[in-house]
Order: sequence, then structure tokens, then C-alpha cells
Amino acid sequence: MSGLRQILLVASRDFIQRAKSRVFVVSMAVIVVVIVGLGLLLASESRRATPTYRVGVVGDVPVGFEKALGDAARSFDRRVRITDYSESAKAELALRKGRLDVAIVGGRTLMWKEAEDPQLAAIVSTAVQGLARARAIERLGLTSEQIASLLVPEPLGKRILKEPDEERTPRIVAATVSAVILYVSVLIFGQFVLLGVMEEKSSRVVEVILSRVRSRHLLAGKVTGIGVLGLVQMVIVGAVAWAVMRGVHIKGVDLSGITGRTALTMVTWYLMAYAFYSVLNAMLGATITRQEDVQGVAMIPALLLLPGYFVAMTAAASPGSSLARVFSLLPPSAPMVMPVRMAMGKVPAWEVVVAVGLLLASIYGLVRLAGHIYEGAILRVGRRVRLRDAWRAV
Amino acid sequence: MSAQDTTSGVLSLIGLKKRFGDVVALDGTGFEVRPGRIVGFLGPNGAGKTTAMRCIFGLVRPDSGEVLWNGRPVGHGDRLCFGYMPEERGLYPKMRLREQLAYLARLSGMGRKVALEAVDAWLDRMGLGDRASSRLEELSHGNQQRVQLAASLIHDPELAVLDEPFGGLDPIGVEALAEVLRELANRGTAIVFSSHQLDLVEDVCEDVVIIDHGRVVMAGILEELRAASNHRHLSISVDGRPWVPDLPGIVQVENGRGSPRYLVARDAPIGDLLARARTVGEVTGFTFEPPRLTDLFREAVGR
Repeated sequence: MSGLRQILLVASRDFIQRAKSRVFVVSMAVIVVVIVGLGLLLASESRRATPTYRVGVVGDVPVGFEKALGDAARSFDRRVRITDYSESAKAELALRKGRLDVAIVGGRTLMWKEAEDPQLAAIVSTAVQGLARARAIERLGLTSEQIASLLVPEPLGKRILKEPDEERTPRIVAATVSAVILYVSVLIFGQFVLLGVMEEKSSRVVEVILSRVRSRHLLAGKVTGIGVLGLVQMVIVGAVAWAVMRGVHIKGVDLSGITGRTALTMVTWYLMAYAFYSVLNAMLGATITRQEDVQGVAMIPALLLLPGYFVAMTAAASPGSSLARVFSLLPPSAPMVMPVRMAMGKVPAWEVVVAVGLLLASIYGLVRLAGHIYEGAILRVGRRVRLRDAWRAV
Repeated sequence: MSAQDTTSGVLSLIGLKKRFGDVVALDGTGFEVRPGRIVGFLGPNGAGKTTAMRCIFGLVRPDSGEVLWNGRPVGHGDRLCFGYMPEERGLYPKMRLREQLAYLARLSGMGRKVALEAVDAWLDRMGLGDRASSRLEELSHGNQQRVQLAASLIHDPELAVLDEPFGGLDPIGVEALAEVLRELANRGTAIVFSSHQLDLVEDVCEDVVIIDHGRVVMAGILEELRAASNHRHLSISVDGRPWVPDLPGIVQVENGRGSPRYLVARDAPIGDLLARARTVGEVTGFTFEPPRLTDLFREAVGR
């Protein structure tokens, strides 16, 4: 009987038992519902994304004002809706009640409720002044070609120095979203490992298992089984999120740029993060037997994860800050911070190599340490086993 | 997986020593278990029984000494044909019986199909055939014990190591388990189990090993040990009432509801005693026999 076969048996048991557990099924359903809900919410927000200004008109306005205002608004990516008022007082009332954003009185004065909206003021000014200019030019008696060249000047030529990176935005979205997913997933599945190890210990079944399986194989199987489940969940969540975001067409976010390579990078970082934290959790889980000790030890990986999560969220804004740079190298936070930095732009290759190298080295060290501690602590039932005692016990 | 010849299937513990901090758990423990034999592994609480058993499975690494299987240091592959029932009982509470036992059988190297056949056979044998899809936690305590036994024997081991298997069983359970053990031994399985119920051990075992403070203080075939003892049990009834002879060194060992029993030297003058009893009245009962295991145990551990 090879160790590998035993590892696979242990892994499939843990995978199946956890996948069938109510906690997993319910959490999975909640996550999917939240993502779909969030997507629909974002979509309805984005449908309203072209804000419409409500403009009131009192008295006469120049001919063609409505069209000129609409054109001016469009150049600011806005729309306008015009309402005519027979007298100034009515427009004033509408303004006060918030039914209007601005009122134009006699084609000359802008009336605001409280403060002036500079953008709206500019839009209206552009329209009014444009019409005035057109009328003045008309009076000069020029030919239509001369008028056209005055009103529609030769457009400026342009030269863009840096080629736009089409994938940048989707990459950043993907990196930030996966930092969130990674954080939640590593936290949840790390806890599954911790609880799984503790439950085997407190139900005493571990001695029955260990009479058949080497402790490091049991550990490896457990971490693998729960890790695969975590990966399955992440893939499902990622796929649902991707489908929702594509399906609802959120303005300004085009996810078609998320390539297989981006997804693969995310999965790789996830696997490394999971390996690091699950082994840590397994080691801690082996030191406790009682439910009331869970809080105390589960806090350790949670506290290690948290700073990286926060830095990852800020790294999107300042990828080059020294905080982001340091945290993208440290093993506990690198899997969350480095992908965000990489998505934002150029990270020196050596930094990525150092981050991955440090992470892999620490995973290796942790596996050795955890295997030793696990072996020393797993049969010591009762109060929490100190790491030092567990280390010495083997 | 059964014993191929008379030299295979022999477990030897040799000079096992283990300290936990200041506590000496094993201090040179050594004994042998042979195929088809049932060894009762006895000792007061804390004598080192569980530690010795854990050494067999590599759950505790001895500081020195070795565990041999067929003359070679026991390896991981060998342990797959051992069955172990730890003192601290436990299986997965939420797993269903059939999949739980099949999982354990497969961990011991059985194929899926063979494992499921073995599971069904064991569940039927334990009277739990209709509970195959119940979760362990839904069973009564006694039934959980049965499943635990099945878990340790599901893969038809060549060696069964059972730590306090009779603990917590009712008389029917005790008899059923004793029957299972005898049957296994008849098929050639080497069995070692620990127990505090000495009467039971006397009924079930051929061999005993008694340890105290991590050292074997008595070991061998039970009948031979009894015969070799320097003491004998004596009880004499005269006119239907117990009669106590006046003999130097006589010790009363039992005063239950029956007649009191006395421990005397092996070479006590029984002819004289009988003659003296006859002068008192009619001798209605007379026994002179090797000591019980209880007495051997007390003798061995000096308490």
C-alpha cells in the first residue's frame, strides 16, 4: 500500500465529508446568491450611469437651445431633460423641492438651489454662448464655408506616447477580486483544516487512523482534500462572478480581457497561500482538543492574513508604495499583494522571484515544522499542547 | 494474509524503554506474541501497557529497544496487517457505518469491493446489518463498541492488539467478544489484549504478560505459571463449614460469599492437614489447587 494511495484516500474522505457538510453547502449557496445580487445591483447602478441633468427654462431661449444643450451635455457624458416653466416662481419652487438641478431665466441667468454645479454651469454656458456666437457670425454675412471653418475648427491631431494596455483594468479588477476571494477562501478552508484536525483528535479516531497511516500522510491527505474543495469553491465562485459580470455589462469594466493566463496566475497564488495557511492551521489544530480552545489558536492565522488583505486593497491605488512593496515580498501577505501590484503595472522581475522563492521556502519549512509538531501533539488529548512540548515529544 | 508457516506472524517486543520527561513509561519491556495465541497483557494502571501497545504501531517511538515482526523491525507495510483498538475509543461520529468501515479497510490496503464485502459481513456478524447507513453517533454506546471492534478487525489482521477491549461491555458483549477472539486465534491470528478483568483473562487467554513500572514481572503460559507458583490455594470444609487449619504462613485471600480460601506454601503438608480435619468432623470439601491469576498478579506486582 503506497503512501500516495493512502493520501488520496484521506483526501477524498475529507473532500466528500466536507462537501456534504451543511456549513459548506449553505456557505456556497450564500456566496453565489451574494455574487449574483451584487452583480444585478452593479448593473442597475451602471444603467443609471449616464446621469441626467434636469434643466428648467423660464421665458425665451434662443432657437436651437434644446439641441445645443443636448450636444454640450453629451461631450461631458451627460444627458439633459428640459422642462418649460411659465413663470420664474414655479421654477424656483421646483428647484427648492429638488425636482430641478438648474433653471435658466430669460436665457441669461442661471438659478441654483444652493450651490452652483460647475459642470452643469459649463454645459449650459457652452450651449448658450455657442448659440450667441453662431448668431453673431451669421450677422457678419460670411459664406457658409467661412462659417463652418469658424464654428467647426480643424480638429487637433494627436499622438499617444504609451500604447494603452487593454488588459490593465480587467487585470486590476481580477486581482482585487481574487485578493478578496483568496482572503475569504484561505480563511474558511484554513479553519476547515484546523477544525478537521482537532475533531479527529477530540473524537479519538486519530489513533485508529494513525495505526494505519503515517502522520505526515494523514496531514498531507487532509490538507489536499480540503484544499481541492477550496479550489473547487473558488473556481465556482470565480466562474459565477465572471458570468454575472459579463452577463450584466457593467459600464467601464470589460472582463473579456481576463485571459486564461490571468486566471492561472490567480490559481497559482491561491494554491501557495492555501498551502502556507492550511499547514499552519493543521499544526495549530493538532495542539488542541476542545472546542473552547479553537478561538485562541484560530486567531493566529487570521491575524497573519489580515494585514496582507488591507495592504492588497490599498495597493491598487499605490502599487509602488514601500508598504505595498514590503508586503508583496513577505510570505503571509505576498499571495494577496503581489498579484495586485503585478496587475497595476511593472513589478521588477526579481521582486516576483524573491516573493515566490520566500513563499515556497517558508511553505517547505512550515511543512517540516508542522509535521513534527503534529506528530508530537496529535495523541496528547486534553488541554492545549504547547508548541515547544510538542516539538520535544517526538 | 494468514500465517504461512509456524515462524511467521510472530511479534516480539525487545527491551523497550521510553521516558516522558521524568516519567519512566517503559523500562526494558519485552515479550512475544505468537500466531494463534491469545496473550493477556496485564498490569496496574500506569504500568506502561498503552505505551507498549502504541510502540507496536509506531505511535510512540521508544527511546531504545525494538519491535520485531517475524524477526525484522516492524515497518509501515507490516502494520497494515495489524489491527489496533486503542484504549481511547473513537471513530468519525458523523460518518455512516458502512462508508466509515470501508474507509478504514481501504486504508489498510483492501480494494474497494473487497472492503465493502468485509464491511457487510462484519456488520451482519455484529447484528448491525440494518444500521449500515446510520451515523456512528446515532448508535447506542454498546453498538458503538461493536463497530469499534469491527474497525480494528475489518481487514482480517494477522495480529490484533486490543487495549482494554472488554471495558464497558455488558456480560453478553463480553461473551460475544471472547467468542470472536477465540475464533480469530483458531484461524491463526496472534492476539494481545490488555485488561483489568482478571477472571476474564483467565477464561480467554492461554498466555499472560504482567508488567509493572514498565518492566515485565511475569510472563508465560498461564497454566505453567500457575503450576510453577510457590503457593497453592487451600480450602477445607468440615461438616459443611469452613475449617481453618493452624499452619504457619497461611494467608486468607478471599472471603466472598463462598468459603474462604487460603494461600499456603506449595509444599504444605496436605496429608497431615486432611488427617487433622478428619479428627474434627466429616470433611465435606477439600481443594488444593494452583493459585488463580488474581493471586499471580498480586504476587507479581507485589501489592
